Amino acid sequence: MTDKPRSVDHLLPLKPKVLQMLLALADGPRHGYSIMQEVAERTEGQVRLWPAALYGLLRELEKADFIAESHARPAAAQDDERRRYYALTQFGKRVLDAEVRRLESIIAHARTTRALRKASRA
Amino acid sequence: MTTDRLLRWCASSYGRLLSMLRVGELHERQAMRHDGESLLRAAQPRGSVAMIATWFGLLWDLFFVGVVHDLRQALRTLLRSPGVTIRISLLMGLGVAATATLFAFVDAALFRPLPYDHPDRLVTVFESSVSQERLREGASPGNILDWVQRSDSFDALTAMMTVSATLRAGDGGAPIRGVHVTKGFFDVFARKPSMGRTFDPAEYEGAASITSRQASSSEPVIVLSHRLWQTLGADPRMVGRSVSIEGRQWQVIGVMPPDFAVPDASAAFWAPWDLRASYRGARFPNGPPRDARFLRVVARLKPGLSIEGAEARLQAVAGGIAAEHPATNAGWGVRLSPLAEEIARTSRLELLLVFAAMFCLLLLLCANVASLAVARGVSRAREIAIRLALGAGGARVTRQLLAENLCTAIVTMVIALALTAWWIGAALSIAPDNIPRLHEVALTGRVAAFAAALALLVTAVGNAVPTLRASRTPIAAALKDGAGVSTSNSGRLRSGLVVAEIAAAVMLLVGAGLLARTFAELQRVDVGFDTRNLLVMRITPDAARYRTGAQTTDYYQRVLTALREIPSIESVAAVTSLPMSAIGSEFTRPFWPEHAPLAGNDAPHASIRMATPGYFHTLGRLVVRGREFDDRDIAGAPAVVVVNEKLARDTWGGEDPIGRKLILDYQRGPYPYEVVGVVRDDRHDGPRSQPIPEIFIPHAQNPYLVLNVIARTTLDPLSVAQTARSHAMRVDPDQPVHSLTTMEQLLGESVQLDRFAMLLISLFAVGGLITAAGGVYALLAYTVTERRREIALRMALGASPGRVKRAIVMESLRLATAGVAIGLVAAIAGSRFARTMLFGVAPQDPTTLVGAVAVLLLVVATASWLPARRAALIEPVRAMRI
Repeated sequence: MTDKPRSVDHLLPLKPKVLQMLLALADGPRHGYSIMQEVAERTEGQVRLWPAALYGLLRELEKADFIAESHARPAAAQDDERRRYYALTQFGKRVLDAEVRRLESIIAHARTTRALRKASRA
Repeated sequence: MTTDRLLRWCASSYGRLLSMLRVGELHERQAMRHDGESLLRAAQPRGSVAMIATWFGLLWDLFFVGVVHDLRQALRTLLRSPGVTIRISLLMGLGVAATATLFAFVDAALFRPLPYDHPDRLVTVFESSVSQERLREGASPGNILDWVQRSDSFDALTAMMTVSATLRAGDGGAPIRGVHVTKGFFDVFARKPSMGRTFDPAEYEGAASITSRQASSSEPVIVLSHRLWQTLGADPRMVGRSVSIEGRQWQVIGVMPPDFAVPDASAAFWAPWDLRASYRGARFPNGPPRDARFLRVVARLKPGLSIEGAEARLQAVAGGIAAEHPATNAGWGVRLSPLAEEIARTSRLELLLVFAAMFCLLLLLCANVASLAVARGVSRAREIAIRLALGAGGARVTRQLLAENLCTAIVTMVIALALTAWWIGAALSIAPDNIPRLHEVALTGRVAAFAAALALLVTAVGNAVPTLRASRTPIAAALKDGAGVSTSNSGRLRSGLVVAEIAAAVMLLVGAGLLARTFAELQRVDVGFDTRNLLVMRITPDAARYRTGAQTTDYYQRVLTALREIPSIESVAAVTSLPMSAIGSEFTRPFWPEHAPLAGNDAPHASIRMATPGYFHTLGRLVVRGREFDDRDIAGAPAVVVVNEKLARDTWGGEDPIGRKLILDYQRGPYPYEVVGVVRDDRHDGPRSQPIPEIFIPHAQNPYLVLNVIARTTLDPLSVAQTARSHAMRVDPDQPVHSLTTMEQLLGESVQLDRFAMLLISLFAVGGLITAAGGVYALLAYTVTERRREIALRMALGASPGRVKRAIVMESLRLATAGVAIGLVAAIAGSRFARTMLFGVAPQDPTTLVGAVAVLLLVVATASWLPARRAALIEPVRAMRI
């Protein structure tokens, strides 16, 4: 499946929450609560993911093959057997990559317009 | 320590909810639980408020994630079969609307506080004598004046007397009801007028009764009701103008708001009244009388004082008065009761009973809806199993069904509210007007909230079982072709619901039967006179114009003579108080036989009525002994009376009373009257009432201004009505002749609350019967479909179609028997509470019970006939192949 690269364009743009979750997983596998914390921290509390919503999205992302359950677990001392760890798949990385690039181009375009210059000056 | 326990409780309740709803697969559930606990633990250092907030956040998150999706899905599901959805919602909406409509009445009459400031401090004051078994009498003018002076329990205390009066408007006159009120009236009820002002203390001084013949020097003042103000043209500058009532000009000083109805909604105006001024002079040498107990007294308790406390204090005052005036007051005390209770008293039981019956019907509807929902749940088991098999979590399925229920509830709510608004209007137009506070009935916020809550509740109850069970649908079994799903369980449940429906229907049927028999008995009871072909009208002449007794007597004689000229009228007469009619002067006075040991305070009381010659003949009331009044009994002739059998029996036993004298303490003081006749007893206050002692006095010997005229006609009385009215008016065109009706109509009105209750409960019973029959039918039809193969097998093995039919019908009768048994026990237990509503029939009347059971069994057997037939028509070969 990975031989023949699937198109990702039709999946974009991502929902804000999905983008945040993928970003949180970009550094490596995380469990649900840690995703929740990471997202809350990075967005300064603006995006909050509660368990049921989070796992609903995780399931969707799993189904869409953006992420997969990771079986690499930390040392037993730091682990809790109830935790589930998730990691980005190759496909997920590509989606994230594409989305970030899309955003970049938007920002680059915005920089050339007066609107952003004004805003950044202010 | 506490937050630790809170943490544990929050975490465990969240965890339990997760597993109950079967969210996701096991691993995911555990992970979610872990995350939830982490969140709670993170919130712990910030205190219990933060933890509770987090816990609510978790619940919200659990139930409402993707709620929009759920609702969209639910709408799609419901719209796929709009017929079923609408039918269920309509069924429930009808039930909810009917209950809410009744609630509007019950709420206005019994529950809503009175529209006055601090209504809990308003009390009615009665005079009460245990020894005479007269526990709730009105108060007498003399005693009231003493109470006001000596009691310190009340902020204000007022006495009222309602009178009939004539409003002169344009060239005609209209009868209205006015209320005399004594000083303090507007302090007791504490309502501001919507226009103008209320009476100054000075305006009460010397104010005479409006019907009195005392002329008053200055122009008296009145306050109008909102309704009368509207009748007079709703003039915004009405205050300061004059209106003509009872042949006198009155200055309007204020108009009350629409919901001010004291003592009831018929009050058209309030006039100040001074008891002292009305009861003095030659007729009342002792001042205001103490033994004429006829005034309605309402008082406002001082803040913080209990009714019991005030009663005890006023009791002490009454004791003092009794010691000073033993002749009139010995043995008399007082009794206080809340005004709201007093207003509701007349029909509390009827209203609650009707409401209970409605609730019974609503439960029945609920059971039916539940049964439908269970059946639907079974038929949807496959769909749900597929969803579960494809990976939907139990919670998702439950939530899905919850969303569907919510949609149904909203549809039901809309239907119910629309119907309630419509029905309240319709019910107001047919409701008997003696339901208290009828004018306050409306679709208020409370009623709307009640309807909405009930719609939610009914939907929740109706759908509870399939909704809660859905997540536990056994997937493999449900997906297996043709097999029934959890058949035994839902089957048993539905049977239980049908049994409950039948029980409720039996209760309604018994109730309807008892009330129908009551009503039939009321129609059949002999009221003591001939009610057919009797025309009734009322004349309220101006007190100002007919000042003397002789003038009044002369006027009525001319009216009666004018009426006799009409060919279709056989005879005419007039009386102060007609049987079956609430209007008229109804009062009692003490009497005792001449030379009797009983006298004064211990004397029995009799109702006093003034009648013209020929009254008993015209009414068709039998004169048992002696004679009735004739032209001999004029003013100045020997004082005579006619008494009824009850009084004669109570006073003289079996002896002949004719020619004996009785002492009556009335207008002339204790005075002997000769008994010249005895008439049959009648039921004066309607078919339910018992005969009371009555004394009739010739009208000419005690002329009364306002009389009811009756005419015995040869044709339909109403066809003579207009001719009779114009003949009577010819005598004096200024005196209004009004309230034309027939005795049969009056009789009908006296039982209108009974009729209303009977019709309503019969309607409920029919509704209940149909619903129960529908329930039985649906259950059996479903069973037959489900057991198609089994029945086919039996038939293939030799069971005859007749046997199959019998088996199905028997099954329904088995359910019916269980339901009937439960229903009968409940009906017998419940009907005892309604004993006072019944008349001439015992609460456990066997005919009614047997009749109700028979009707029910017949209907159930009929309802099971179609499914039974369908079962018998099953073709074994085809059924077994499918």
